[in-house]
Formats: sequence, C-alpha cells, structure tokens
Amino acid sequence: MSTDDTQHETVYEPRPDIQRPAVLLAGIARDIWTSRGLAWRLFLRNLRGQYRQTLLGLLWAFLPPLANTAIWIFLRKQGVFQLEAQPGVSDVVYILTGMILWQAFIDALQMPQARINENRGMVSKLNFPRESLLMEGLGDVMFNFAIRALLLVPAFWWYEVPLSSTILLFPVLALLLVLLGFALGLILFPIGSLYQDVGRLITLVLPFWMILTPIIYVLPETAQHSWLVWANPAAPLLMCARDMVLSQSIVWSTPAIVYGVLTLPLVVWGLLVFRISMPILVERMTA
Amino acid sequence: MEQRPVLRVNQVWKKYCRNLKRSMWYGLRDLAKHTLGIHRPQPLRDALRPGEFYAVREADFELPEGQCIGLIGPNGAGKSTMLKMINGLIRPDSGSISIRGRTGALIELGTGFNPILSGRENVYINGAVLGMKKRDVDHLFDDIVGFAELEHVIDDPIRTYSSGMRIRLGYAVAAHLRPQLLIMDEVLAVGDVGFRMKCFQHLRTLVQQGVSIILVTHAVGLLPRVATRVILFEKGRITFDGDVQPGIARYEECLAVRNQQSPAVVSTSELNHPRLVAAQTLNAAGLPQRDFQTGDSLRLRLTIESPGQLTDQRLIVNLGTANTDTVASISNAYLNRTIEWQPGQNQIELTIEKLPFLVGGFAFDISLYGPQLDDFHERRMGQGAFRIIGPSIDTSGYGICGLVALPHHWD
Repeated sequence: MSTDDTQHETVYEPRPDIQRPAVLLAGIARDIWTSRGLAWRLFLRNLRGQYRQTLLGLLWAFLPPLANTAIWIFLRKQGVFQLEAQPGVSDVVYILTGMILWQAFIDALQMPQARINENRGMVSKLNFPRESLLMEGLGDVMFNFAIRALLLVPAFWWYEVPLSSTILLFPVLALLLVLLGFALGLILFPIGSLYQDVGRLITLVLPFWMILTPIIYVLPETAQHSWLVWANPAAPLLMCARDMVLSQSIVWSTPAIVYGVLTLPLVVWGLLVFRISMPILVERMTA
Repeated sequence: MEQRPVLRVNQVWKKYCRNLKRSMWYGLRDLAKHTLGIHRPQPLRDALRPGEFYAVREADFELPEGQCIGLIGPNGAGKSTMLKMINGLIRPDSGSISIRGRTGALIELGTGFNPILSGRENVYINGAVLGMKKRDVDHLFDDIVGFAELEHVIDDPIRTYSSGMRIRLGYAVAAHLRPQLLIMDEVLAVGDVGFRMKCFQHLRTLVQQGVSIILVTHAVGLLPRVATRVILFEKGRITFDGDVQPGIARYEECLAVRNQQSPAVVSTSELNHPRLVAAQTLNAAGLPQRDFQTGDSLRLRLTIESPGQLTDQRLIVNLGTANTDTVASISNAYLNRTIEWQPGQNQIELTIEKLPFLVGGFAFDISLYGPQLDDFHERRMGQGAFRIIGPSIDTSGYGICGLVALPHHWD
C-alpha cells in the first residue's frame, strides 16, 4: 500500500457536491477507471449466472426480438396493415433490424434502475464505486445487442439484401442509441428510485412508444421532420442506424445529428445526477 | 510527531424521517436542491421538517491509530446511522467527518455473493466489491480460503454452503483488506465458537498493527475482548465515552431501566395511598453514589409519601438487570422488620451487603403493599439504577464473567 493511500483524507460534509463540479467529475472518472476490474467481474458473474438455470440458455437473448418480428410479419401477411418497405428490402429484415435496435434502446433505458434494484443490498450497505454497476449494465446491454445483431447475418443472406460500406456506421449509431437510452435512464433513475410510479409509467408507455417509433412501418418522406420524430428520442438515431444498413446511400437527418451530438453531454449529466443522488437515495432506501 | 487521528467526527447531526410518504417527498426535494446546487445548511433548530427528528445529535469524537472502540446503545439510538455516515453511505446534515486512509467495512458478510457461482469466483467478486485488485486477491487467495477453512469446497457453488460457511468466507475476504479504519456492524456474534475466537484473535492482531476499528454490537459481553474504549449512544446523543467496563455498565443500566419501564407505574385505583417519591443509592458511608465495585455494600434510600398514619405496611424490592428478569426479591417481612408510615414523607433504607454482581447495570422495582396479600398500593419500575464498574471481567476464558461472582476455591 502506498503512503499516498494511507494519508489520503476523505471528508464527508453536507455541502452539495455539485458546487465543486470539477472535483465531482474527477471523482466519477476515477471511480469508473478504478472499478473497471469490478465491472468486468460483475459482468462475468451475471453472464455465467444468468442462463445457468435455463434449458434454452443463450437462446433467450434472441427470442424477444424474433417473437416480436414474427407477430408483426404474421399480422401483415393477414393483411391487418400495410408495409411499404424500401425497394429491394424484405419486410422481415426491415422489422427485425428496427426491433433489435429498439430492444437495445429500452434495455439501456431501464438498465440503471434495474441494476440498482437488483443490488439494493450491496448499494445500501457497502461503499463501492456504484458506477461499476452501470458499466456492467452497459456491457450487458451491448453484449445482448451484439448477439441479436448476429441474427441479421442469416436474415441478410436469406433475403439477399445488398450491402454497402455505410453498414460500417451501423455499430456507431447503435452505440449512440444505447448511450442515449442509458443517459435518459440515468436522469429518470433518482425519481424512479423514490417513486415506483416512474417504473410503472414506463411499462405502461412502452407499447405505445414502440408503435410511435417507425419500426413496423416506413415513415413517409413528408413526415421525416414532423414533431413526432423530434419528440421521440428513440426515433431519429434508430431510423438513421437502420438506413445505414438497408439503404444504399447515407441518409442523414437533422434530428439524428442533433440527438447524436447531444448524447455524450447527456451521459455526463446523467452520471452527475446519479452520483449526487446516491447518498440521498440510500438514506431513503433504509427509511 | 503527533499523529493525526484516523477518524474525526466533528459536531455531526443527522435527520431522519420514519413516515414513508413524507420521507419520499423530502428525498425528492433534497434531490432537487442537491442537483441544482441550491442546498444551504440551515440553522439546526429550524431545520426539522414535519415528521423528522434527529437520529444523531452533536456527535463528536476522534479515533486515533490502533484503537478499537465499541459503539453501543439501545435500538434506534443512532449507532447504525452514525456508522453509515462514517462509511460514506449517507451524508451528515450538519458537521463533518474526516477519515485518513482507506476504510473497510464488515457489514452483512457476504453481501453480493452469487449462490450459483463457486466459492472461488465469489472470493474474487467480493474482493473486487471491497476494493481489492485482482492481483491482491491472487496473492491473498490461499490465506483467505485457509482462514475460512474452506479449502475442500472452494470450487463448489456457494448455494451448497451452510450459512456458517458463507459467513466465514465473507469474513475471511473482508478481513484480508488492509484498511486504516475498519467498520464492523453486528458481525461479532456470528459463526461457531471456534471461528469467533479466531476472529477476535485476528482483530487484536489488526489493532496491534495500527488498524483502528469501530464496532457496533448489542453483544456487549464480547466487547472487552477487543475494544479498549466504548461510546454509548442514547436517543441520538453520545452519553458516555470512556473505558469499556464502565461503558458496558452504563449501557446495561440504561437497558435495565428501559426493561422495567413498561409501564413505569402500576397503582391501585384508590386515590389516597402511599407513594414512592424517590429512590437513591448510597455507599456504605451514606453518600449518594451510582458506581460500585463487586463486593461493595449498597444502601437504597426510599422516600415514601403517605396520606395518613398506616401501620403494618409491606415493602417489596426487586432487583433486575438488562438481560434478566428479577434476580433477587426482598420483602421487609422476611427479616420481621415492621413498617409504619407517618403522614407526609418517610424515609427507609435497605442495605445490601457485599454486592455479588459483576460488571453491569442494575435497577430496582419497588412495590408498596398493606398488611394483607391483596392490599396493593403501587409498584414503580426502574428505580435507583446503579452500575458495577469493576473489577474487570474477562470474557476470553482467563478470568471470571457472568452475572455474579461465585465465591469458590479449587482442590
């Protein structure tokens, strides 16, 4: 143990940490860095523990988007609704791509709350870098996304979807989409921890939100800039990411650029909110 | 060179709210204030919102290097809140806490264990949660498993372990941290006797190496084995800070009084009956005193107010402790002492010769009766509380301990 370690002084006082944002940010960065080993351990722990008691194992990662896609394809085949997918692109590939992206977004959105709830005992009793739980959660969301994205490989091959170099931007945009969901999840997390209404509201809203997001239908050109797109954080990046794989050319839209640029500042803000709220929430957790 | 204390608790206050709905609402407001940075500490007397009270008031103490203190007190006295603040889980509402060096916590051993994974995997996870790097754990792994005595099952899933085995593993991991300050909450009374002894031995070694320890426990009998100082919390305040044995005696006295306090008075429905108005303990010389040594004589002076002249009265004195019911009951009838109350105040003294009790806290129940079996006047609980503060007891198996000192010899 270094002398620095033994002489390091920690002071706890009532003054809000946000009054020293530089110290706060440095603390977050340091904890994320020092807890990377812990995050990795927790990630492996969950991965190993998650499917050990199931018969179908990893198949459970694939099933939700597959089932969702199957239902919509079935409905469309029955003529319940019409889908005019892009020329040369199969409906299956179109819906499946959207579903996988949507799933990653809502996984990331719900992750911070879920992680803290699962580890309530540890969080309320031990002082460890809580950011490690978030890093582990992000890893989990991205791992699941990657596995599901593998579904696209046989789908593309079967439906003979033409590929272009813009597909290389797909992971970048998907990552931005996940980070955006994560940031929103972080910002909702403190209120959601105090009031379960938030969690219930999200569950209630999710199906409508999915319908409002152009996953099972194609948004007409004229609606590309409608307020419905602007007001739906999931839509712009999701649409843009899908265009990158399914369209032959890069189709940037203004909302996607704006949301893309806003994502990182939002993540930083979310991490600040998370850090500041932790002691206050722990106090109320035991109440 | 004067060493800075490892822990400095400076005039700390902490609010608490038991009402769930209010607590959530206050939490939301605190969140908003802290996120916007507009929180201003208020003067303490105005700071309480409806439904709130101070769980910790004006706590102020220091912990030097290589000292082990026991934090004791009745339930809800503020010990655990204090510990949470020291552990950095919650913030003080006023005052400050400064800690030099690394803090380790032994609270709910094995928190974060995953039952499906093996003991080996869990040692690494638990170590990482407690702040150890992988190579630290690699280095200490054999020591940890050896300490827990689980070499033969370390590769089995934790869910096949007994609760005792889990606790041993949890302790072993946490015990191999090398903190400057170690915080322990109610983890002393766990495991089987053999392992507990090993823990005490281990804690003593840590203290000798200069580690400072704070331990919260209700099993105060175990404290003298490791602690060199006791801090007693009552209703959020520190009411005692000093040597272990007098501290334990103070704590048990306060428990003894609380035990006997519900209800504090039982009396007959008659309006005019004699009443006990004061009870005081005195030493052999007749001076008021509350701290005694085993073997001292104690005089209990009772002041009784009577509405008129009453003859052939009875007085029953029960002595109780924190952990037991009545341990001794004395009626004046036993030694044929007759009692007659005069109108107004009467005084009577009961002398107990050679108190046989060992370190602890004690209190009396006093009952007043008339001549007949059912002539009950009143009973008052938790009166004339006193403490035995010495000589020292020994709970490590090299002396005497328990409730009383039995006169004995070996042949």
